[in-house]
Parts: sequence; C-alpha cells; structure tokens
Amino acid sequence: MAKQIGADRLGDFYKEGSRVRKRREWRGFRDTMYDYSRWLWIMMTLGKFVMKPRNVKAMFRYRWMANYLAVPMMVDRHTQGLRGEYLRICHTEQDLVIKDVANLLDSLFRGDRRIGNDKKFSDKVVLVDENEMTAVMMGFPDLKVLSRETPSTYVSVLLNQRAACHYIDVAQEFGLAGDVCPMPEAEAGVSIDDDAPILGACAIQCNTTCDGSLLGNGVISQRLEKENGIPVFQLAAPLRHREDDVQDYAAQEIRNAIAFVEKHTGHKWNWDAYFECAKRVNYFTKCRQEWLEMNRTPYPQVFGSNLALYTETNYMAICGRIPAFEKADAKITKLARQAYAKKKMAAKEYRHRAIVWGVQSHYYMDFLVWLLNCWGIVPLTDMLSMVSTKELVTEDTPENREQAIYDMAWLTENMIMRNRTHGGYKVLLDELWEFVEMFNADMVILWEHMSCKALDGMHGMFEEKARERGIPLVWVSHDLFDPRIISRQGVRDQINSFMRTVMQEEPIDPSLEVLPDDQSW
Amino acid sequence: MTTFLLVLKIIAIVLVVFFVLTFTVYFFNLDMKLTAAIEPWLLKHYDKIDRDQHL
Repeated sequence: MAKQIGADRLGDFYKEGSRVRKRREWRGFRDTMYDYSRWLWIMMTLGKFVMKPRNVKAMFRYRWMANYLAVPMMVDRHTQGLRGEYLRICHTEQDLVIKDVANLLDSLFRGDRRIGNDKKFSDKVVLVDENEMTAVMMGFPDLKVLSRETPSTYVSVLLNQRAACHYIDVAQEFGLAGDVCPMPEAEAGVSIDDDAPILGACAIQCNTTCDGSLLGNGVISQRLEKENGIPVFQLAAPLRHREDDVQDYAAQEIRNAIAFVEKHTGHKWNWDAYFECAKRVNYFTKCRQEWLEMNRTPYPQVFGSNLALYTETNYMAICGRIPAFEKADAKITKLARQAYAKKKMAAKEYRHRAIVWGVQSHYYMDFLVWLLNCWGIVPLTDMLSMVSTKELVTEDTPENREQAIYDMAWLTENMIMRNRTHGGYKVLLDELWEFVEMFNADMVILWEHMSCKALDGMHGMFEEKARERGIPLVWVSHDLFDPRIISRQGVRDQINSFMRTVMQEEPIDPSLEVLPDDQSW
Repeated sequence: MTTFLLVLKIIAIVLVVFFVLTFTVYFFNLDMKLTAAIEPWLLKHYDKIDRDQHL
C-alpha cells in the first residue's frame, strides 16, 4: 500500500481459483481518490444502462451480455500499478471506450427485433464487421453504424478471457474447421447460436484478413440475407495494398459500397460530414505520431495497452465519426507532454525497450502492463498500432472529392492487422526491423497467434533477421480468443523462461511471475 | 439560519455515509465479488433459452 510506483507486490492481489482480485490497489491518496472517482463514474454509466428495461431484457437474452459484469475489472487489469499521468491516460481511454460500447449496446437493443424492435431506428442502421474500417461511413452522419461482433465477441474477450469459448465450440459442433482464427470462428458461432441482435437496413462486410474471416462472414451473411432479409455488401479491398495498380479497383469498391448504402437506406452521401471526419482522423494521426515520437526517447509516455487498445478503437471503429474522441486525443497528448517534460516513468525500472510484433493475445491484453511491472520491459509500440499515417484531404473541392475516395480506399486497405499481415514481405518483416532501429529497441517480442496462417509462415525469416542484427527475439504463442489452448500463465511462462535463461535476469516484481488467474475473468 | 445549518449537516452526513459505503465497496472489490457470484446463475439461465441453432 504505497504511493510510489512499484512499491506493491502486485501478484499478492490475486486469489487462487477466484474470478476476481482480493482488493483494489492503494496508490497514494491522490491517485486512489482519482481511481475511485472513475470507478464511481463507471458504476453510474452501468447504472444508467440497466435503468432501461430493454437493456435488462437483452441481458437475459444474450449469453455474451454476462461478460459485461466484469467491466470494472477490465479497467483494473489495465491500470495495474499505474500512477499519475499514466493512470489518467488509461482512464481517459478506457472510460471513453466504455461509454462508447454502452451507447453501441443501447442502440443495438433499441433496433433489435427481439428486444426494442424500433423499426424506424433500425431502418437507419448499417451493420459493419468488428474487424472493419468504418471510413466508408464517414459521409453518412444521419445513419447509425453498428457492429454486432464488437460487443458480442471483441469486447467480451477483453472483459472475460473465456467469453468466446462457448461460441467457438458451437461453431465446431456445426462442422466448421477448428484450425482457423478463433475470432471469426466465435463471431460465426454467435450467429449459429442465434445469439446476435437482428436489426439494420443493410450490412457491409469486409474481406478482412484471412480464411477464418471469409468463413465467418459467409455464415453470418447467409443468415442476415436469407433469414433476416438484411442485404449485405461484400467490400473486397485489395490485399496487396502497397501496389499502385490496385488503387483504382480499391476506390471503385468504395464507390460501390457508398452506392449500396444510399440505395438501401435512402440517405445521400454528405461531403461536409466526410471532410469534418477527415479532419478528426488527421488530428488523431498527428497525436499518435507525437506519442510515437516520445516513445523513441528514453521517456516513452503512451505505450503498451494504453497505445494498443485506444488505437484499435479510434483508428478503425471510430474513424473520425465521434467528436468525443478528438477531445480525448487532446487530453491524452496534454498528459503525455506533461509527464515527458518531467521525465516521468511508468514503472520503477526500465530494463528493456521492446517492439511487440504479430497479433496479440486478445484474452490477455493486459500482458503489456505485466511485461512492464514484472520484468521492466517497455512495450514501446506494437504491430497493430503501426497503422497509416497518411494525411487525408480535408478541403471540399472537386479534385479532393475524387482524392477522398482514394483516401477511404487506402484506410480500408490499411485497416488494423490487414496492413501488416497482408501486403507483402516488406510490411510484415522488413518494417519491423526499421521500427527496431527507429525506436532504439533492444528486444522483439513476437506474438505467435497459432491459428494465423498469414504470420506463421514467416517464423523462420523473423528468426534469421533477428540473428543477423543480434536482437534478442522471443516467441510468445497463444490462440487469440481461446485460453484453453495456451493459458495466460502459459503466455507468461514463455517470457519468464526467456528472461531467466537467455537474458539471465531476475524479475522486478517476483510476485507476478506465476499468477493464479486461470479461473479469473 | 438553524434550518440552513441543519440541512447542511444532513447533506454532509449523507455525503460521508455515501463515501464510506462506496469506498468500502471499491477498495475491497465487493462489486466484482458480487457480480462473480451472479455469473454462474446467469449462465444456467442462458442454457435454458430455446435457440434456433443452425448454420
């Protein structure tokens, strides 16, 4: 119980066989009161959500809603050990994401034929994939862009490590392959299990990144189109996104998607709204670049899950459409500058500067905080945060309208994950080493998502390049959404063994080396 | 004046009681302990719902 960073043995908060921790941290008076005030705010947000009878009805209808019991604990996991500006940055992000997800759930249930059944509202809804750039909706300010997969699977697994297991099993019981990525498989499982809200004027699916994604989209769109009568557009963005000769085709896909939405909703594309969103996208890009610039110095400020989770949400799911995120960008940047000016550190000791590459374990997103607290490894940036930094055109001219179509196509091609797992050797392999140099990193942590065939094929080449450069590289295997294959402790053990045997080091906080969190949310 | 002070006193007591109660829940993680106890009951409920399961 101390104000100083790193004074607590953070592993002592865990209890064998328990879903939850023994108690919350004492972070000194000021930070504890701040954390408590944010906890109160979260409880009020959840309270407001359950005040609506339709949301209670949904809670008893959809299995994945049970995961939302764990919202405060998700925040606790990500704020573990943090103090001062880092704690405030984390809360600024997490609290906004919680509010945004609560709004998303409320909207889904309002239009859901089983729950709220507000037909007029549902007619304004365009469904999108979870793993899809929403750039194509930037010019439809009066339509609601909702993703069913985001709350049912993506956020659920952040809340509860076992959230997707039921749906993965359902998908496999119905004969779907067990060796595909468990994320789209779980999304398909939700649809097969009749556990997805039914609403919307139409839907847009994206050829995201892999065989599993195409399989999942096929299952979901079949039910949407043939049973629910909701037409689906397949936005097939080119995979070789760095090639000039695919850009005209990519732009045409965007035009087709816009025409599809206009046809099925009766709403017309609004260029003023688009350029407003484009300005916000540019602002986020500017802020993100400033954070990354700080991370190149000995005093990184916005890193780890603070960088990863927020980038995933803001870059892809929000894409300039929600002004509240612009305010959060400004606040985070202000806090980061403040901490940087004082040369502050998020942990008591920084031993290694790491680039985290590959697709991270979703059931253990707070692993990045663990790396810092247990071993003093600073995750400077990660593959999913290294997305497009291209400036979008923001002035409404005839030429810029044409360019804007190409900008949306570029963003769609360069959505998170796809911009690295597809697009050729350079974006996945070569640029990693450019970032190692740029960030002055002395270690690479390479996630091996065992069901991701796009990445697994490059295993040997990563090792060869690491040996050439003399950079220590550690593989961390996981199965993205399924902790039954490799547990959280299994993930930690891979780092523990590497640090003890190869690096010959002792942990900064030994209580975190082995944690009894197998039954935890 | 006396009524004003009385109202102030009541407000202060309510705020202190609210703080003590909620801070106790917060610090000892009682909110999560309660929801962890609710979860198994909810999961059993979901198992009983009729579903149109198919590809």
